[in-house]
Amino acid sequence: MNRKRLVLLLFTGSLFVPRLQAQVKHIEMRVEGMT
Amino acid sequence: MKQHLQRQSGVANVDVSLIDGKVEVTPKEDGKIDPPQLLKATYDSGVSVAELDMTATGKLVKDSSGNLVLQVSPNQSFVLAPNELSKGLEPLMDSPSVITVRGQLYKKPPGKQKKTDVPATLKLLVLEVEKKE
Repeated sequence: MNRKRLVLLLFTGSLFVPRLQAQVKHIEMRVEGMT
Repeated sequence: MKQHLQRQSGVANVDVSLIDGKVEVTPKEDGKIDPPQLLKATYDSGVSVAELDMTATGKLVKDSSGNLVLQVSPNQSFVLAPNELSKGLEPLMDSPSVITVRGQLYKKPPGKQKKTDVPATLKLLVLEVEKKE
């Protein structure tokens, strides 16, 4: 019973762990001729 | 230019610094931002881009030509320009590891004074590996 609870707790907890999402995070440009 | 860039797909915010000629683009969480398109949009607004740096997270895979590629999404990937840092990442190729890198996607060729078009293929020159997971 306790083992079931522990597994359930671990599974539920893993859903809330922030995952490192693949994506473009930031872009920076150096530009010329801007007024 | 700021308004033109803000209308591009996947752009959440654009910050322009007139003093140092810096444009910072914050992407939306939807992952639809397309840096080469952003580069083209900047040129279209009449401004010449000297350099474009970006930070991206993704997996390392090998493309059909054998190049090391940072796969950001199923339909967005960036070929890595070979350098010492990209060589160090080769062991992570085709592994489930997710990495975050900062790199230079475009640099205006030296010596050309007039505005140039965006090159057809852009390679990401890794400047810093920020995170490996």
